[in-house]
Amino acid sequence: MDLFSNLAIGFGVAFTAQNLLLCFTGCMIGTLVGVLPGVGPVATIAMLLPLTFGLDPTGALIMLAGIYYGAQYGGSTTAILVNIPGEATSVVTTLDGHQMARQGRAGAALGIAALGSFFAGCVATLFIAAMGQPLTRLAQLFGPAEYFSLMIMGLVFSTVLARGSIFKAGLMVLLGLMFATVGTDLETGQERMTLGIPRLSDGIDFAPLAMGIFGFAEIIRNLESPEARDVLHDRIGRLLPSWDDIRQSAPAVLRGTLIGGLLGILPGNGAVLGPFASYAMEKKLAKDPSRFGRGAIEGVAGPESANNAGAQTAFIPLLTLGIPPNAVMALMVGAMTIHGVIPGPQVMTKNPELFWGMIASMWIGNAMLVIINMPLVGIWVKLLKVPYRLLFPAILVFCCIGIYSINNSVEDLYFTAFFAVVGYVLIKLGYEPAPLLLGFVLGKLMEEKLRQSLILSRGSFATFIDRPISAGLLAVAAIMLIVALLPSINRKREVAFQD
Amino acid sequence: MTDDSSSGREVSTAGRARITQDVIGGLVLSMAGAFFAWQAWDLPLGSPGAMGPGMLPMSVAVLIAIGGAVLATTGLVAGGEVMTMPHLRGMFFIIGGIVLFGLTIRSLGLVVAGPVSMIFASAATDEMRPLETSVFAVCITVFCILLFKYALGLPIPVVAFM
Repeated sequence: MDLFSNLAIGFGVAFTAQNLLLCFTGCMIGTLVGVLPGVGPVATIAMLLPLTFGLDPTGALIMLAGIYYGAQYGGSTTAILVNIPGEATSVVTTLDGHQMARQGRAGAALGIAALGSFFAGCVATLFIAAMGQPLTRLAQLFGPAEYFSLMIMGLVFSTVLARGSIFKAGLMVLLGLMFATVGTDLETGQERMTLGIPRLSDGIDFAPLAMGIFGFAEIIRNLESPEARDVLHDRIGRLLPSWDDIRQSAPAVLRGTLIGGLLGILPGNGAVLGPFASYAMEKKLAKDPSRFGRGAIEGVAGPESANNAGAQTAFIPLLTLGIPPNAVMALMVGAMTIHGVIPGPQVMTKNPELFWGMIASMWIGNAMLVIINMPLVGIWVKLLKVPYRLLFPAILVFCCIGIYSINNSVEDLYFTAFFAVVGYVLIKLGYEPAPLLLGFVLGKLMEEKLRQSLILSRGSFATFIDRPISAGLLAVAAIMLIVALLPSINRKREVAFQD
Repeated sequence: MTDDSSSGREVSTAGRARITQDVIGGLVLSMAGAFFAWQAWDLPLGSPGAMGPGMLPMSVAVLIAIGGAVLATTGLVAGGEVMTMPHLRGMFFIIGGIVLFGLTIRSLGLVVAGPVSMIFASAATDEMRPLETSVFAVCITVFCILLFKYALGLPIPVVAFM
C-alpha cells in the first residue's frame, strides 16, 4: 500500500524531536495569538511568519501549519467565550457556542469543539494522503488552458461566496488582478505601472497587501465602534463533555466532517461554506429545531468539525495544483517561496519528506491542540480580558516587526500603511476584500497561463472550450454564477450570510 | 441586489438622499480604473496570439472603470446603504503608528520605534490612559527585543543610534 508507506515516511519525519517541538510551539503560539479578539488566521500567520525564518523548509512548514490550526482553534475559543468571531468561518460557532457559555457550559462547548475538530482533522489527514497522488496525476494532464479555466472557476466561486453583492465582489477580483500586474512583466521584462518606485519593479508583495487590507484596516474598523466585549465571568464548567453530549454530537461531527472536507477542496474559498452548510443541516435534521440558537451542542459540534476539515482539505489544491484556494493558503505560498519551495505537483515527487512530513504533522498538530487546550483554557480566558485599548497597539507593533523582517525593508511598512487605507476605504464603501486577495494571488499565474494557452492556440480563445477539461471547469463556473444570480437563490444567499 | 433592508442599517430609497455607498464606491473604482489605464497607456498591447505587457493591465483597468460606472449609476437609480463617516481619528493614528515605526526603526532602532509607534497609535481611542499605555509599551518592546532579536536571531536593529 503506497498510502501507508508514504504516511510512514511522513510520520518518520514528523516524529523527530525537533519537528514535534516545532509543531507544538506552532500550535501553542498560534492559539495564543488567534485567541486575541479581532485577529484572524491571516493576520496571525503574517505576524508569526518571521518566527520560522531560521528553520529548514520542512520544519518551517510544520510550524506554520501548527500556527494555522492553532489560530483556527483560538478563533473558535474567542467565538464561544466572547461572542466575537475571529473570521467568517467561526461566525456560526458564536450562535450556539456563546449561548452554551452563558448557561455555564463553556467547558463542554470548548471540549466538543476540540474533540470534533480532532476527529475532523484525522479524517481530513487521511483524505489528503489518499487524494494527494491521484490529484497530482490529474495535475499532470493539466495544460495552461486547464489551469487558466480552473483559476477562473476559483475566482467565480470566491465572488459567489463573498458576503454582499456579487457584482461588487467581481469588481474586487478585478482590482486584485490589477494589483497583481504591477511590476516587471515576466516575458518582456518591461516595467508596468511601477510609478517609478524601484521597489515596485518586483511587484507588490503579498504580506504588506494582506496585512494592510486584512490586519490594519480591520483594527481601524474595530476602533470605530466602542468596545462591547462580553467576556464570560462565570465558571467555565467541566471541560470534558458528558456521554450524553458526545452521543448527541457524534452524528453532527460525522456529517460536519464530510461536508466541510468536501467543500474545502473547492478552489475559491469553499471552506467558508462548510460551517454554514453544516449548521443548516443540523438544524434541519434536529427533532426540535427551536433548540438551535439557544445552546444546542450539535450547533457547535457540526460546524466546528466542518470548519477544521475544510481548513485542512484546503491544502489539497495548494499541494497538488499549486493553486491557493483562499487567503490563508496564499500566505502559505508566500511562506513556501521564502523557503525555496514552489507549491505544485512537483513538491510530492521531488520533496516527499516535506510533503508527507507536513501531512503527518497535520494529524499531530490536531492531537496537540486537544492536549494544549484542555488544561490551558484558563489562560486563554485571562488573555481575553486584556482590553482592546492595549491589544491593538501591541498587535500593531508585532505586525510592523513581522512585515519589516520579511525583507528587512522599511518600504514594505509604507506599502502596508497604504494598503491599510485602501482596505479601510473599501470596507467603508461596502466592498468585501476577500475576493480581492484571491484575485491578487492568482493574478500572475493566470496571466502567464492565459498567454501560454493563447500562444499555443495562435490567439484563438476557442481553445478554452475545445479542450474538454477546461470546458467542464468553465461550465461549472458559469452554472454557479447563474444559479447564484437567480433571484430566489440570491435572496437566500444574503440571508445565509447575515445569520 | 444591494438593497438589504433586513440588515437594520440605514437605507436610502430612490428619490431621497442619494449619496449611497454604491454611488461613491462606483465612482472611486472608476477613477482607480482610469488611473491604472493611464499608467498602462504606453505599454504595448500585442495581439491575442502574442500578448504584450499591456494587454491584461489595460483590459482589467477598462473593465474596472466600466464596472465602477455601472455600479454608481445603478446606485443613483436604486438607492442603497447610506455612506457613514469614516473614522478619521482611527485612520490617522493607526497609519501614523506604522509610518512612525518605519521612520525610526533603521535610524533609532526598536528601542525607540516600539514605544513611540505604540504610544502614538494608542491615541486612536478615547480610552487610552497615558501611564498605563507607556508602561505597557515599554514591556511589550522589551518582550519583542528578547523574542525577535535574541531568541530568534532576526536582524532587526535594536539600538541603532549608539
